[in-house]
Amino acid sequence: MKKTKILTQGAMLIIATMLPFAGCDTSELHNLNVNPNALLKVNVNFLFTAAELSTACNGAGGDNWYTNWRTNIGTCAYAIQQLAAGAGGISQGDKYFENQEASQGVWDWYYEDQVKNLNEVLKQTGPGGFEEGRRKNTREAARILKVVNVHRLTDWFGNIPYSEANKGIEGTFFPKYDKQQDIYTDMLKELHEACTSISASNEDDGFASSDMIYQGDIAKWKKWGYTLMLRLAMRMSNVNAAGAATYVTEAAAGGVFASNADNAIIPMSTPQLWNDQNGITRSFVDGSQPTTLSKTLVDKLMGPNAGSTADDDPRLMIISGGLNGDMNPLNQKGLPNGLDAGTVDVYTGHSGTDISKEFSGFNSKFLDRDEPYMMMNYAEAEFLLAEAKERNIGTVVGTADVHYANGVKAAMQMYTINDPSFVVSDANVAVYLATFPYAGTTDQKQEMIGTQLWISKFLNWWEAWNDWRRSGHPTLTPINYPGNLTGGLIPRKLKLPTSEAALNTANREAGMTNPDTQVGKVWWDGGN
Amino acid sequence: MKQRYLILKLMLILGLASTAALAQQRIVSGTIKDSRGGSLPGVNVIVKGTSAGTVTDANGKYSLTLPENAGTLVFSFIGYASKEVEIGVQTSIDATMEEDVKQLSEVVVTALGIERSTKALQYSVSNVAGDNLTQARENNVGAQLAGRVAGVNVTKPASGPAGSTRIVIRGNKSLGGQNQPLYVIDGVPMDNSTYGQAGIWGGQDQGDGLTSISPDDIESITVLKGANASALYGARGGNGVINIVTKKGNSRKGLGIDFNSNIVFENFIDQRKLQHQYGAGNYVDTTNDGIANGVATKPGNLTQAFNWASDSWGPKLDGTPVLQFDGVARPYSYAGDNWKRFYQTGQTATNSIAVTGGTDKQAFRLSLANLDNKGIIPNTGFNRTNVTLSVNGKYTEKLTVNAKVMYSHEAAKNRPVLSDSPGNAPQAMWLIPNNMNVLDFKGDPNKPGAIPEGVDPALLSLYGQGGPSKFAGQELLPAANNWGQNPYWSTYQLSTSDVRDRINASTQLRYDFTSWLYASGRVAMDWFVRKANALSAEGTGYDLVGSRNQSDITHSEINMEAILGVNKTFGKFNVNAFVGANRMRNKYEYLQGTGSGFNVEFFPSLNNTKSRNFNYDFNETGINSVFGSAEVSYNNFLYLTATTRTDWFSVLNPKYNHITYPSVGTSFVFSDAFSGLPSWLSFGKVRASWAQSGLVNISPYQANLTYSLYGFSHLGYSLGSFSQAMGTGGSIPNPTLQPALSTEIEAGLDLRFLGDRLGLDFTYYRQKTTKDIVQQSISHSSGFESTYVNVGELQNRGVEIMLTGTPVKGPLTWNVSFNIAKNVNKVIAILPGQNEIVSDGFSAEPRTRNALIKQIVGYPFGEITGHVQVKDPNGRPVFTTNGSPVVTADYVPIGNGLSKATGGLNNSFSWHGLNLSFLIDFRIGGTIFSGSNDRLTGWGVSEQSLQGREGQAPLHVEGVTRTGTGTTGDPYVYSELNRDLTPHEARNYWSSVGGETTAVTNMWLFDASYGKLRQLTFGYSLPRTMLSKTPFRNVTLSLVGRNLATLWKHIPNVDPESAYTNQAAGQGLEYFAMPTSRSYGFNLALGF
Repeated sequence: MKKTKILTQGAMLIIATMLPFAGCDTSELHNLNVNPNALLKVNVNFLFTAAELSTACNGAGGDNWYTNWRTNIGTCAYAIQQLAAGAGGISQGDKYFENQEASQGVWDWYYEDQVKNLNEVLKQTGPGGFEEGRRKNTREAARILKVVNVHRLTDWFGNIPYSEANKGIEGTFFPKYDKQQDIYTDMLKELHEACTSISASNEDDGFASSDMIYQGDIAKWKKWGYTLMLRLAMRMSNVNAAGAATYVTEAAAGGVFASNADNAIIPMSTPQLWNDQNGITRSFVDGSQPTTLSKTLVDKLMGPNAGSTADDDPRLMIISGGLNGDMNPLNQKGLPNGLDAGTVDVYTGHSGTDISKEFSGFNSKFLDRDEPYMMMNYAEAEFLLAEAKERNIGTVVGTADVHYANGVKAAMQMYTINDPSFVVSDANVAVYLATFPYAGTTDQKQEMIGTQLWISKFLNWWEAWNDWRRSGHPTLTPINYPGNLTGGLIPRKLKLPTSEAALNTANREAGMTNPDTQVGKVWWDGGN
Repeated sequence: MKQRYLILKLMLILGLASTAALAQQRIVSGTIKDSRGGSLPGVNVIVKGTSAGTVTDANGKYSLTLPENAGTLVFSFIGYASKEVEIGVQTSIDATMEEDVKQLSEVVVTALGIERSTKALQYSVSNVAGDNLTQARENNVGAQLAGRVAGVNVTKPASGPAGSTRIVIRGNKSLGGQNQPLYVIDGVPMDNSTYGQAGIWGGQDQGDGLTSISPDDIESITVLKGANASALYGARGGNGVINIVTKKGNSRKGLGIDFNSNIVFENFIDQRKLQHQYGAGNYVDTTNDGIANGVATKPGNLTQAFNWASDSWGPKLDGTPVLQFDGVARPYSYAGDNWKRFYQTGQTATNSIAVTGGTDKQAFRLSLANLDNKGIIPNTGFNRTNVTLSVNGKYTEKLTVNAKVMYSHEAAKNRPVLSDSPGNAPQAMWLIPNNMNVLDFKGDPNKPGAIPEGVDPALLSLYGQGGPSKFAGQELLPAANNWGQNPYWSTYQLSTSDVRDRINASTQLRYDFTSWLYASGRVAMDWFVRKANALSAEGTGYDLVGSRNQSDITHSEINMEAILGVNKTFGKFNVNAFVGANRMRNKYEYLQGTGSGFNVEFFPSLNNTKSRNFNYDFNETGINSVFGSAEVSYNNFLYLTATTRTDWFSVLNPKYNHITYPSVGTSFVFSDAFSGLPSWLSFGKVRASWAQSGLVNISPYQANLTYSLYGFSHLGYSLGSFSQAMGTGGSIPNPTLQPALSTEIEAGLDLRFLGDRLGLDFTYYRQKTTKDIVQQSISHSSGFESTYVNVGELQNRGVEIMLTGTPVKGPLTWNVSFNIAKNVNKVIAILPGQNEIVSDGFSAEPRTRNALIKQIVGYPFGEITGHVQVKDPNGRPVFTTNGSPVVTADYVPIGNGLSKATGGLNNSFSWHGLNLSFLIDFRIGGTIFSGSNDRLTGWGVSEQSLQGREGQAPLHVEGVTRTGTGTTGDPYVYSELNRDLTPHEARNYWSSVGGETTAVTNMWLFDASYGKLRQLTFGYSLPRTMLSKTPFRNVTLSLVGRNLATLWKHIPNVDPESAYTNQAAGQGLEYFAMPTSRSYGFNLALGF
């Protein structure tokens, strides 16, 4: 019976010890809800660095090919006729179809990754933030980097949420749409303030060691800010001449990019497939996206006389990786856009056309996994200055032809970061400039500038598309593939993502750029 | 760890104690028979006023050691009137039990494992006996509740042998929650989480907790439907409770051995309506003028063969030789049924053995079961082994001990990939054009789905699609589409496996201080480790470098519970009351290693990967609770019950973290209260109750904002992120979240007539949820994709009717039961100013991206929305100039995945040793959006896509076209369109309506009603006379079948039960899940 007594006592003991656990002891309970793997505060420089990486190809967020593949390549590279797709891959831009992910992807990644993190940097370094008054240069650089991202968004979609965007954390779950015109006004103001406030005399506060673009070089950040200001000013030059003039003047006076050493480049790396590597590379190498070059681009690079190398652009055999291994510049051949597996045979005149063997593909030396990702280059600054000069917008020092020549030279010589063999000598540049002298009517000169800008944005196809939509140069002939969704017109806008139609219905309808189709026009393109 | 160790030690002590011998006392024994003279096993024999007792053995014999003060023996058995016999000086007491027409002693297991008389229940409960689950079986025992219990809605995703189920009781109660009930085994909560479901971007059904359970261990399943029934479980029981009672040992002579062997075969159910007249090819239009007047062309060369191998838009099959992707020319004619070539006959063998034994002091049951399954997709399967030991004993007059350990080992191999294409073999099987034979996709016989050695380099270059040439060992893609996979590659080279080892252990002590006062304590642990492994093989079309992923999940939940109770009679009054407390701690730990790219070619080890990443996740939650219950009854016909429970939640902030739920109810057995009722009314009871319960459906750490650091740096730069979300998909935390509240009233009537030959059970309920925690999808431009808010309101109202009858009784007995339940759900409110929300976008949107499941105010839960064709101001449909419909950008409500009513009809006939039973279940109403039909027509595969082709009646469109764009008013000019489309236009029409952004969603919406012959068993038990000279106690052989026939349905090509997910937000969507299957086989039960 002794055993029984022990058991009896045991049972009583269990009951006695358990009752206090329940209910009353809620601090122990609450401690369970402290996440051991998360931080309550963070060094905002970490957020800034993540935003830099994401601005290249959303690598920080872990899907580094998504936006480049769907939008930069799938829509833009084909629509502006630098690549062409017979079949395969993501290539809705080739035949003017739609790919919902081309809209949704950039929308989600930009708003939810880099812009979210940049906004948090601005909030915490601003009034009431836990880093208020500190990390001043991080703050100003974050303002510039935010414009880099937001101007892309608005240029793709037109009117978008801006003033109320990224305020979910403050309870604004369904932001209203702002007019693109107003967004431009604010972005230019932001650039003005950031370029004025960023300063080498500010405390570094860890900025240099978190900035993988310029390693904290304030002068270069200023130049990038002013070059962006120049881009934005010129982009609205057709619809807001006065505003364009003001900011072209300010940008030129403030100092834009002055050499390829100023180019805004995010270095890439190889350890993590989804994070560190170049997303464009991954789309082609891991995603088997066809690399076939468009006939429009190859013809431009080969010059008016296809039977001669004398008028070739020195970049022909840098951009082209050859035709089925044939590196003879005379034999390069681009594929017209808008063909399919059936009509390509009609084009080549024989059955069984193997596109990958019968047309030039672009150079695989651009496709290393750690290929640096260029976001903005010096050549663009010079071309825009040349155009401003030509169109008499604002106050620009120098002459259009010199700016043009500087731009061509810079564009031709900027690819050595991609491969050391991509060298174009000063002499070759001079020959090219002499062969195609900067001359003619204003429109002819603008066609030259536009064409050069277009070539210089190889790989940066979404910007090439923006430039073309704004200037109409170079002149491109649209295709008209049966069943295409634009009525045979080159797309001029991305449709808003379906998530906005589904979730932010009222604000979208009240404020979107109308009509929300691929041929609707954004404000600076003459739309609303 | 310390805590767990303590529990183990405690269990060990209890195990040892059970062997303790006790002093010799007076023994009484006897035999119990039924009125026809047959021996009755399983009769409870109890010494009145004590808890000393035993159960009769298989021969109806019992033997019981009497406590000192024993005066009367009480014999009781379900379905029989209990009987009391004075012991006096007898040492042998035999008794004959009479069948009880009023079933006075019927008891059910209610909340917290407490047995209560059904008469006392103020709410509806339903009971499913374990022997319904062991003949015709399902791997997931939840699937077997379909059609059996009124108001219990069972959905089984078409996801293969190790898949999950979704059970919803009396409708969805939370906008953002999963709305699945709490599963309780022998009074202890069991984890039923899923570790992955398919969604818009594909995925696998990673199963749920229920797959761990062996049906052979189940004595019965009780469904506690309403808040009233489950009030004592607090927030965890807010969606109802499914209470599983396992089999226990009982006192008997010698050992009892039960052996059961079950083997069933499984085949896909063919519901296809495809065209077999046109082959691979496409329209070629050489004019490039934007007008679709091309000609259907079959591949004329290798490039076309490769590019068009996933387009069934070629010309009419004509038998001429046509090149295919592998360079071989084959006749352009129907190549036969590829499904029969690819899918195999699945097979499931289940063997179980259980040994029971015991003395009057203690009893045990030890069981071992093994299930071995091969799926209908080759190279898939599921294996499960269960070992269960339960021991119960009574070691003094006052102390009762129950202890149980259930161990299960589950291994699933290659769970099928569903929904989006990569890895989805069933989708690839739908896609194959008529003139192609899937056996030609096999490639390398030693590596199915791979490019064999010796393929022409020109072909390899073509397969490279402009990139580097492919080479032997890489995926043999039959078409120029990296995402449309080779089904053999999906099946054999993309491999996944997962293994779960689970221990569910509990021990309970009960101490009776006096005959009316007791205390009990229980400690229980549900613990498992799940290891998962996934290989995306090197050379896969969309992932050439390949990747490997290994993960470990460790999960544990520990519950400690104590109860102090009284059960005392005062004259005609009886009080049965208790108070108690529970402490729950749940811990989850996750470690994952991922690697991509392999250093040594085709050696898929994680250690061989070029770049590696790891991921660690940890979370812990707890709930502290106190509860109490009191039942007062008068003269066994009037019962009044009240309960209360307060829960404190760790996942909410302290200010808002607790809530108290009360319930009251009454039950009145008027047939006992009044005399003089007509004799045809054999039983009558009315009941009514009101209860509240909570709902807390958020994960830990959602209530507070934090930052996170990336698990890697870039070139040495550290990276961080605002909020826990890195990249897209974040949710905004809300520090003021509090528990949601569910309030329910229920009233019911239980009538039985003509000596219980006919019965009716009717229930009406009305439930409302307020302050529901909603994960609201928000504009992504807010920086996040969702937020949690306490704003939802929704309600459910419904009726449940259960009719039972025994139309024929005697040597031939026919029992029939019919149940039907109707639930009406309505969303009343969501976020202020918002009319609708999307919760869980991954589940709520199909891959076709033209539908979205939303919660809309004024509509029922889970409204399907989509694009409809635009109409002009006169209501005429608008088309493009090429005759394809123009659709709205908006998502318009078009249907709802919830059925209006569900039910079942169960018949069983027995005649001598023969038994035939079948179950028909049905659902009425509800719609299903069929992404498969959308695609099948878009691809030119379905019969529907024949319309408008060459050689068929032309496709005629009538409506208007429109031109002009603008911003205000109606900027369009309309002109009439009334013509036949060219075949090329018709092709574009079908691709357009069966596409993505251009699709007309409501064209693919179908009535989801169906009726199915769900189960049939036909068995024969050898008569006892034949067995008396054998060691067998019983021998039963049965023919069994599940899902044998679809009696009616309204959706073409696929089964109405083709969901690919069990998630709440994804009900009513269908997109390339597995074909549904029927199974049939044998069951042999032997008892010794």
